[in-house]
Amino acid sequence: MKIFRGEAVTTAVRELREEREATKRRLGKILVPTMFLLPAALFLLAFTAIPLAQAVVLSLQRWNGIQPATFVGLRNYRLLLEDEVFRQAVGNTIYYTLATILFQTTVPLIVASILNSGIRGSTIFRFVYFLPVIISLTITGLLWSMIYEPNFGILNETLRALGLKSLTQLWLADRSLVLPSIIVVSIWQSLGFYMMIFFAAMQSIPEDLYEAAAIDGANSLQRFRFVTVPMLRNTIIVVIVLNTINGVKSFDQVWVMTAGGPNHASETLGTYLYRTAFGTLGSSNPQLGYATAIAMVILAVSLIFSVIQIRVGQNRNNES
Amino acid sequence: MSLYRVTKVIQNTLSYMFLITLSILLGFPLVWLVLTSVKDRREVFTTFLPTQVNIANFARIWDEMNLPTHLGNSLFVTGLNVTIVVVTATLAGYAFARLVFPRQNSIFYVFILAMMIPGQAILIPMFQYLKNLGLLNSHVGLALAMTGAPISFAIFLMSAFFRALPAELGDAGKIDGCNEWGVFRHIYLPLARPGIATVVIFQFMGTWNEFMFSVTYISNPVLKTIQPALYQVVGRYSIDYTALSAGLLMAIVPILIVFLLLQKQFVKGLTAGAFKG
Repeated sequence: MKIFRGEAVTTAVRELREEREATKRRLGKILVPTMFLLPAALFLLAFTAIPLAQAVVLSLQRWNGIQPATFVGLRNYRLLLEDEVFRQAVGNTIYYTLATILFQTTVPLIVASILNSGIRGSTIFRFVYFLPVIISLTITGLLWSMIYEPNFGILNETLRALGLKSLTQLWLADRSLVLPSIIVVSIWQSLGFYMMIFFAAMQSIPEDLYEAAAIDGANSLQRFRFVTVPMLRNTIIVVIVLNTINGVKSFDQVWVMTAGGPNHASETLGTYLYRTAFGTLGSSNPQLGYATAIAMVILAVSLIFSVIQIRVGQNRNNES
Repeated sequence: MSLYRVTKVIQNTLSYMFLITLSILLGFPLVWLVLTSVKDRREVFTTFLPTQVNIANFARIWDEMNLPTHLGNSLFVTGLNVTIVVVTATLAGYAFARLVFPRQNSIFYVFILAMMIPGQAILIPMFQYLKNLGLLNSHVGLALAMTGAPISFAIFLMSAFFRALPAELGDAGKIDGCNEWGVFRHIYLPLARPGIATVVIFQFMGTWNEFMFSVTYISNPVLKTIQPALYQVVGRYSIDYTALSAGLLMAIVPILIVFLLLQKQFVKGLTAGAFKG
């Protein structure tokens, strides 16, 4: 009996010890990843999750930043639907986005394709086209404001020097020209970026596809149409999506060049949000809840297109 | 064959004409900026090429605009922000790529979700949030405000880099007696250097060029970072194109140096952003 009891005790002790070890191991398994994830998690919580949650709440409130906020339900969103300026901002944003999608997809694709055809000097051209990409939206906005300036700007100066005085315009002060003028700046700045994306993607198209097409008698235009474009289908979608997201968010350049003017002719969702919240000179009556409702519209559109972007990215990874 | 040759020559000529025209269109504004910055004030609107190189504009805007202060402010904000983003994202990216823990995939997606949130969505609450923390008009506050979405994107990049490294290295390290931290610190971290470089450059450029948060959260003129400082100064120099051009040019120089030194990682970082998932 004694021996039995002794054995039972040792077994029990051993079991206990093993259990403790197992718990330790299990804890260790969670502890180590937690330590690795904790710093990032804290920052994401403090500087994304909490402000985002506050934004959702704020979009349901009326608040001028000084007096206590009052809960108004969906009133801000209802007011948006009746807001003439908001409607114009939506229209301008759609116009801007569609135009940038059109030009900033087709032109870079063609340029990348030419540069990828084995032409000499490709590196130099790529370098030149990429230069505007590294310059901030603020600086490009300021630079182009100088170029567009009606009296001293180099654009009107050049037109006058060429004897084309009739073509000179108030580029950024003309209601019908202001958006196209801003779109030109966007194309100037982003062409190199999208070209690089296409160029990088073209490196993974197998050379034999082009050779096979050439043997079949396809000229370079047909090779572009029947090899390059289909092979880059996902990349093209991604570029369109990126353009959409950037278009919906557009703020810096427009704000720097026109601040949404003249008379809301270049108002985008981004500039309208900013003006509603902080005023042009920081003096007007701030409507923070209303501005946040506009921000939620931008958020919704961005989220939808980001999901598409990730889906396409995954497809692409699975293919390769 | 000769017909093929002829079409080839025509094709090449057309291609070059197109590429060169495009180079002129894209390069002209920058050439004009450089030329204007060295012109005498009186010849800005009269000649295209400067009659003599005049560096006085740089000295003038350097002092009057207080450029060293604003460049210093930007350097501090960018440095702090990039450090936070790179350190936190490298740790987290490693955990998602090389460690095993319950609900790994779902947690990954929660972390990645933040990169889809546009700055505008949190612009206004963040203002109030920083105000409550006493971090308005503070470089630390501005650097912190720009951590969320960038950390998320950097985690995505870093986890992809760590996943591309062979798993056997870690197993070998464990057999040699390394613990989890040792495996990370001594085996994987040194190998992840190119990935870290890409994240650093990408983030450096993003923060250095940031405008919306910078112009909103810092109103004290002395504390402004370079982009809002340039925006602010335009009114004062609206007619003085030589000084303005010199100022813009000097703000481009730091980012241009980074680009010239690390062109490869630079382009890689930018294009990597296109494919998420």
